Amino acid sequence: MTSDRKTHLPARSEAQRRADEISVFQAELERLEAEGVLILPAAQRQALAAHHQSLLAGYARDFDIDRDARARHLSLGMRVTSFLGALALAASVFFLFYQFWGRFPETAQVVILILGALGSLGLTVWIQGRDATGYFTRLAALVAFACFVLNISMIGQIFNITPSDKALLPWAAFALLLAYACDLRLLLAAGILCLIAFVSARVGTWGGVYWIYAGERPENFFVAAALLLAITGLTGDRKTSGFAALYRVFGLLTAFIPLLILSHWGEISYLDLSPKLIEGGYQVAGFAVSALTIWVGTRRGWPETVNTGITFFVLFLYTKFYDWWWELMPKYLFFLVLGLTALLVLLILQRLRSVDRSDPKARP
Amino acid sequence: MRTLVAGAALIVLTNAVALSGVFVNRATEAESRVTLSERELSLPSGDFRQRENSGLALTLLWRVLDQEAADPDYRYAYHGGQPAWLDAAHLSTLGFDTSPDDASPEARRRLLRQLPRQVLLVLELEGPAWQQALVRARENAAREHAAALANPGSEPFAKRAEASRERLGFEETHASRLFAIDAGLDLAALRSRYPDRGRYLILRGSVRPTVRNHNGAQHLSGQVSELAIPEINVPFALRPVLEPLRQIPRRDAARQPPRYQVRLAIGQRLEAWIESVTALPAP
Repeated sequence: MTSDRKTHLPARSEAQRRADEISVFQAELERLEAEGVLILPAAQRQALAAHHQSLLAGYARDFDIDRDARARHLSLGMRVTSFLGALALAASVFFLFYQFWGRFPETAQVVILILGALGSLGLTVWIQGRDATGYFTRLAALVAFACFVLNISMIGQIFNITPSDKALLPWAAFALLLAYACDLRLLLAAGILCLIAFVSARVGTWGGVYWIYAGERPENFFVAAALLLAITGLTGDRKTSGFAALYRVFGLLTAFIPLLILSHWGEISYLDLSPKLIEGGYQVAGFAVSALTIWVGTRRGWPETVNTGITFFVLFLYTKFYDWWWELMPKYLFFLVLGLTALLVLLILQRLRSVDRSDPKARP
Repeated sequence: MRTLVAGAALIVLTNAVALSGVFVNRATEAESRVTLSERELSLPSGDFRQRENSGLALTLLWRVLDQEAADPDYRYAYHGGQPAWLDAAHLSTLGFDTSPDDASPEARRRLLRQLPRQVLLVLELEGPAWQQALVRARENAAREHAAALANPGSEPFAKRAEASRERLGFEETHASRLFAIDAGLDLAALRSRYPDRGRYLILRGSVRPTVRNHNGAQHLSGQVSELAIPEINVPFALRPVLEPLRQIPRRDAARQPPRYQVRLAIGQRLEAWIESVTALPAP
């Protein structure tokens, strides 16, 4: 393990992907040999095996990758544990400060808060240089983010500063910095959530609304959704870390959830029209946007986009069915219609997949 | 290393911006300065949230003089309310769309769709609004007392008279004397209307549009809903006066006078801080 290699962290996910591909290749090669389709000469076979072993040994040494299915299962457990541990530690830091902060004068409080944020950042960078797995880095990074959030919110509390949405901006910047530096999707999600809250609050403020209440107009979130989806388009698909997929998912959720809400509560829209008309409009928009999402996701080979589109298409459909038929139909018939609709969606998707398969341009 | 430098710069810069705001707020002469008592600044209630919080903040208790004098509620002292002065015309000066300026269903619908706005609230200490609240409480007590005398032996009348007496006692010795009496968007204009900086505080708060039912008719109105900073942190050096009192809940409101007074300053950014805390002698 060398620290200079660790500083280029996306390499870890590349190494894991390569190791997975080697594993699949080896299994297929064995199958082809057993079926007599392809039999490599002994020398070539040995050279190939040696090359793969050398690669895997190097990856395991430098990046602590999962070399087999058992390691992968354990890895998943470690990811979950590190996530829960990070949340618990962040909460612990928060309550620790609350428990003791009143015992110090204001200057000491401020110094402790700033040193806490700086120290946890330093610890994260130090651990990153020594942690091949990334689990401990994730834990430390989330604690560092919690320390910075606590730092700014407590400064506000100590000096009675008027709460402002502007605090969300440095929090987002800090989370994104840690996410990109340490290749952490958890911190990327935290940064994106701060950005969504900030942009929505700003949009609400421009409309004259007190920023705390900006969430009461779901349309305020559309600008944040557009920005997130635009970021994906501008930065391209960073396959090394799955960041682009996360931007897309959050961008889509930031668009779909307000659409779903507005399609049922037209009164809370900015549009000064009849609520029924607004709801109808957003229902149509919901179907159109989810269908467009499925189409774009299929064309670009973005599975998370397709899945998000399908989920919301079905949600829009089922909520409409509920509005129309829940009271009118016997329950067995209502659920039968839902089941048949699911079958219809499956058939359409199957057809879409076969069209996609026959069109090589559509594949990524 | 680049991560460390960039992250540290972000932390230091954000703290510098926040602390420079505090400096700007307090550097020059305070925008206003008042002396409040436990009636206006209350200690935390000691619930589960306070158990693991070693900090101490006082809640600013303020009121509005409700338009409806018939059956006023004297118990609340820190929630907002619908003051008589916050009518449709006043709402429009705060940026709310009140056209057409009547209480037609269309006007009500348009108004109620609008979300709260942040405004500058003028809070008056021990002024005409509080005097009026006192007068109302006295009149109410006298009315109920007279009704009880006119109905001797009636338990309901006797209970109402007793309750109105208690409410009067509450108003005289316990309830907050700080009333929201005006709202605007321009600090200079508000200060020129209320030049006494020892009696009138100007703080940020929010106003929500609403509709008032009065004598069967509906009127466009506003609700003063909250202050931007509802709690004021007590500096470490001033806590020894309040810490012993924190452990002892204030006894029966009507019978125990305030136990401390606080000098509160409001800075140029309309952010408050506590300058001094003085224990008041027990009766």
